[in-house]
Amino acid sequence: MPDLQPTCALGAPKPKTARFGVLTVTENANLALASVALRRDAGAPDLPLPGPGEWIEAEDIAVFWIGPDQWMVEGHGRAADDFAHAIAHRALGCSVTEQTDGFAAFEITSDAGAEPIRALLEKLVNVEAHCFTAGQATRTGFHHMSVFVIRRADDRLAVLGMRSAAGTIWHALTETAGRLEVTA
Amino acid sequence: MLIPHPLLGPRDSSEFSYLGDASLMDRPDGMAPDAAERFHDYVHLRDNPAGIHRELWFHEQGDRSWLVVTRNTVTHEILGAELARDARKGGAA
Repeated sequence: MPDLQPTCALGAPKPKTARFGVLTVTENANLALASVALRRDAGAPDLPLPGPGEWIEAEDIAVFWIGPDQWMVEGHGRAADDFAHAIAHRALGCSVTEQTDGFAAFEITSDAGAEPIRALLEKLVNVEAHCFTAGQATRTGFHHMSVFVIRRADDRLAVLGMRSAAGTIWHALTETAGRLEVTA
Repeated sequence: MLIPHPLLGPRDSSEFSYLGDASLMDRPDGMAPDAAERFHDYVHLRDNPAGIHRELWFHEQGDRSWLVVTRNTVTHEILGAELARDARKGGAA
């Protein structure tokens, strides 16, 4: 048997993490993703369906809106499972696409409440930082790429971007978080 | 310049890409007897108004929806935006 070793998006065997003052940036290698799109004449899936710009956490999954009649489903800790297959059973008649390997996810946590996350948002992305509260998610421009930004909680933010650009996203996140630490 | 996205609220115009006149949604029937003539007009002839103009914008760095944006080409004022699929439903009726 060949000796295969799974590699994280940043190329190391273990997910990377870095700390900048009160902010911690961590690569989330265990996040499973599947997109769900409604077909014109099919029924609604058996999933929570948040409205435009929203993110909902349910029992075993989380869902955010990505476009009209389209959602992305997150499975925390399920990257090694056949996640899209499991979701397809709950979304009969819908188009379900495996997305896990297309994206790299980064989780940013703050030890000092919402303010450092808000400062980071103001630097990084083209969203109105004071309106982008817990439960909001959107796709927007970020360093000449596009990413999904999810405000999981007041003190937690997630950035999901193209896996092939993981290094560039990591660079942008850590550079900005590092500069905020200097100015804080 | 901000575009008032009907679902997501005001978004920066840099997230969008521009296609052109909203009348491009009304594609002629390729099977019609005078299809060649109608496609000539569809492909080559455009109004070029100084003033109110309805145009197609794509939310490329966002939710990837097509919008019909009404813009004043003289002042660049954006007067409104709607989802192209809603505009099309309205237009087909």
